[in-house]
Amino acid sequence: MLTNYSLFLLIAITLTAIFFFVASRKLSLVPKGIGNVGEWGVEFVRNNIVLDVMGSEGAKYLPFIVTVFFAVLFNDFLGLIPGMKPGTGTLGTTFAWGIMVFVVYNWIGFRKHGFFGYLKSFLPSGTPWWLAWLIYPLEVISHFLRPFTLGVRLYANMYAGHIVLGVFGIFVVMVAAALSPVGVIVGSLSLIMQVIMYAFEVFVAFIQAYVFAILTAVYMNGALHAGEH
Amino acid sequence: MGGSLSVLGAGLAFGLGAIGPGIGVGFVAGKAIEGMARQPEMAGRIQTTMFIGMALAEAIALLGFVLAFVLQAAK
Repeated sequence: MLTNYSLFLLIAITLTAIFFFVASRKLSLVPKGIGNVGEWGVEFVRNNIVLDVMGSEGAKYLPFIVTVFFAVLFNDFLGLIPGMKPGTGTLGTTFAWGIMVFVVYNWIGFRKHGFFGYLKSFLPSGTPWWLAWLIYPLEVISHFLRPFTLGVRLYANMYAGHIVLGVFGIFVVMVAAALSPVGVIVGSLSLIMQVIMYAFEVFVAFIQAYVFAILTAVYMNGALHAGEH
Repeated sequence: MGGSLSVLGAGLAFGLGAIGPGIGVGFVAGKAIEGMARQPEMAGRIQTTMFIGMALAEAIALLGFVLAFVLQAAK
């Protein structure tokens, strides 16, 4: 069913697709205009996320992480436009993306180390046998918590930020409607607060996309180098 | 009034559960700034590691956040 959030999720995903379609239409060595913006974005993800965390072998997984980063980023930013909601502001979406990341990184691990090899690698090397029965379930549980925390982190940040902006906005309007001297002072103070929170939310929207993408890269790196720590 | 205790429990679960991760995240940021001030040329790598450390510390607070929802739903 199409809810408010899933409508804006669809809009944001469509915008992402259109942006990169237009940006990659005329590829050249020295890009211009929107192509330059797209290239800058992809390069940012490559240098600051993929190469930093995974090294040169991560280049293979760059497309997936770029997709994750920009899908989250466009959704977060769309929610900042007044009257719109962030597609990531609902647990269903973010949890689904967390599960997607979980499936992808485990798939990479199974392909790299083989089925039993990867299962065995959950146990940190050098664990004495009399601790293994305790450590192994804990490690498995911590893996299953990952999609959970990925989803909840993004959802909580976007939803809480959206509520805060909404509360301050409604407060300004309510107090201004009263038209008393105290009301004007409180109203203008909360208007200033609204502007500050807005700037902060722009920052949070970017940071959350960054954190989501960087954790994806970290989990993939962990699956590639399973059993080495 | 049946649900009031579970609402109280939800508030406590998130409030108390946020203390430790709050200290942890602050500690991560403080130490990262210390490291960046000492070696500005390593700022990029330190920042990346800082965000990973922060995200992992935050995860504990998020468990409390979810627990709050679960408790609130309990009647």
